[in-house]
Amino acid sequence: MKASRVIIVRGRGVLSPRREVDQKKLLQMYERGFRALTGQPDLREGFRSFFHDRDRLGLKINTIAGRELTSVPDVTLGLAKLLAGKGSLKKNIIIWDRTNRELRASGYSLNLRQGIQVFGTDTEGVGYDPTLVSHLNIGSRLSSIQAQHITASISFAILKDHGLAGVTAGMKNYFGAIHNPNKYHDFNCNPFVAELFDTQPIKNKHKLSILDCMVVQYHRGPSFHSRWAEHYNALLFSFDPVAADVAGWQIIEKLRAKKGLPSLREEDREPEYLFTAAKMGLGTAEVREIQTIEEEV
Amino acid sequence: MNRRQFFKTTGGVTLLSCSGMTSMLMDLYAFGGKANLSQVEARYYKELPEREIECLLCPRFCKLGDKERGYCGVRENIGGKYYTLVYGKVCAINVDPIEKKPFFHFLPKTNALSIATAGCNVNCKFCQNWEISQVRPEQVEHRDFPPKMVVEYARRYTCPSIAYTYTEPAVFFEYMYDTSEEARKKQVRNTVVTGGHINPEPLRDLTEVVDAIKIDLKAFSEQFYADYVRGELQPVLEAIKIVAKSGIWLEIVYLVIPSLNDSVKEIRRTCRWLLEEIGPEVPVHFSRFHPMYLVKNLPPTPVSTLERAHRVALEEGLHYVYIGNVPGHKAESTFCPKCKRVVIKRVGYHIQNVELDGGKCRFCNHPIPGIWS
Ligand code: SF4
Repeated sequence: MKASRVIIVRGRGVLSPRREVDQKKLLQMYERGFRALTGQPDLREGFRSFFHDRDRLGLKINTIAGRELTSVPDVTLGLAKLLAGKGSLKKNIIIWDRTNRELRASGYSLNLRQGIQVFGTDTEGVGYDPTLVSHLNIGSRLSSIQAQHITASISFAILKDHGLAGVTAGMKNYFGAIHNPNKYHDFNCNPFVAELFDTQPIKNKHKLSILDCMVVQYHRGPSFHSRWAEHYNALLFSFDPVAADVAGWQIIEKLRAKKGLPSLREEDREPEYLFTAAKMGLGTAEVREIQTIEEEV
Repeated sequence: MNRRQFFKTTGGVTLLSCSGMTSMLMDLYAFGGKANLSQVEARYYKELPEREIECLLCPRFCKLGDKERGYCGVRENIGGKYYTLVYGKVCAINVDPIEKKPFFHFLPKTNALSIATAGCNVNCKFCQNWEISQVRPEQVEHRDFPPKMVVEYARRYTCPSIAYTYTEPAVFFEYMYDTSEEARKKQVRNTVVTGGHINPEPLRDLTEVVDAIKIDLKAFSEQFYADYVRGELQPVLEAIKIVAKSGIWLEIVYLVIPSLNDSVKEIRRTCRWLLEEIGPEVPVHFSRFHPMYLVKNLPPTPVSTLERAHRVALEEGLHYVYIGNVPGHKAESTFCPKCKRVVIKRVGYHIQNVELDGGKCRFCNHPIPGIWS
């Protein structure tokens, strides 16, 4: 079933230890991932199954942890260019996050003019939408980028261990789309991650999750600690936001087990919010119900 | 946020008629501009391994990795050290009647230079100032207003006191503390308007440099605190006891919200606790709720509900019980508990008459507790 399928594409050596990107291999990884995800050999057709011609697409990245644990700009731009070129989107793509400072610190060049745009919510004239989104336990202002500028969204998140949430990935990435994420870290971020995702401006625009697993922080996240960061060189794709994060969580558990670390359950910080999200009908949290396809390029 | 919105949010618009106020605001704008955040080391935290820290300022005890901020959004771990980002970064400033805080037994008929930075360590669903309390400092217009300048402005605008208010002053502790010390040197008093979510050690330290604290007791149930405040009741009760014991002036506000915290049982329990732990002389204000922020589905508190709470508190033996946010109500005034005559007649924030002599009722000589001069 399309909704609960997760594609993991690994590309050995795609990112060098000096964070240089093998562009050819990266492109192959994206192409392989999208083909497997959509079931369409023709990328253009595949993209049409989830974007409309007139969509304005947001790639919500996560630059909070700084250069070492952020999507390398070439990795993000590689995706944006593929979507712009093979997709019907032309150049209606915004790569964005909370602040221009964090984007710059992660190596991104801001671009507010033509082409693929790159800017933060704190850009003069952008900011947070004045409407207070009030839904279940959530009361937040959304970035105007999410609320107004875009019509479709990819959560292009970094997969990380998270001291409070257990795991941060595609769903929690939208914490960076609100003005007050600091208010939602109680109780292992449960139910807040799920409830935020369930708000109309997020749920209705979200098209798919792509997890950047090039470098996975499997312990002591979400800050960068080289000791517990693995060069995993993978991209993970899913239309199901919950299944994507559950599959990401399994990667983290695998890496933790390999290093002899206790599981997140043993540390009492399993990402419960994923089960809450499943109960809310946002996707599948049961591992046995998720079809994971692993590919290697 | 433009200049008009900035002052509107904090109620400043109503104060532009105060003499000299306009020029004061102009001055602030002249030196202000778009200030950056501060990076002043926080005072109550401990360093942990792997560049992590634990904040010890409030009962949340946030544990944070590098580059992370606490729940209040105004403190950040930078490379394993903890910093306040709002030291001297004021997002609201006004000259307010002290009665607006409300302090009813503290220098009546005077003004307080009232300041706030962004941020709060709880998230009350009925917050009146959420646009400045529930945001990060970079999301609101703010001005550089260092401690010495605060004191200078208080004196210039004949405010015998400074009020740390509007948001949650505990989260700008270092700034409040240093400003209070400066103020003391110049014989300016300090008052704090807080939800009481602050740990005993910093609170005790604070009571050394301020003169009065008003604590918002938002309900008398842990469930209410969990559901509507995102905090805990117990630390607030501890804070009330610490302030009372410290000897500085204390007043309590209880915002009465229809159906959520307005039962006779809950009001009675609150009053009994105050009576037993603090005594009958602590002023208690039952304030009227208006639909706000995330609680818009309830009506404003009926005046009869506030009158019921007022009656219960008097029955329980509290001496100074007020009704707030109902301008013109007779329970805005202070009555002598002995002869029952009005000793301070208030209408809204306006004081019509004071019948006190040396802190005593002019009619029967009964001492009325407070700081009167
Ligand atoms: S003051 Fe702020 S950072 Fe410190 S414990 Fe409280 S909420 Fe957390």
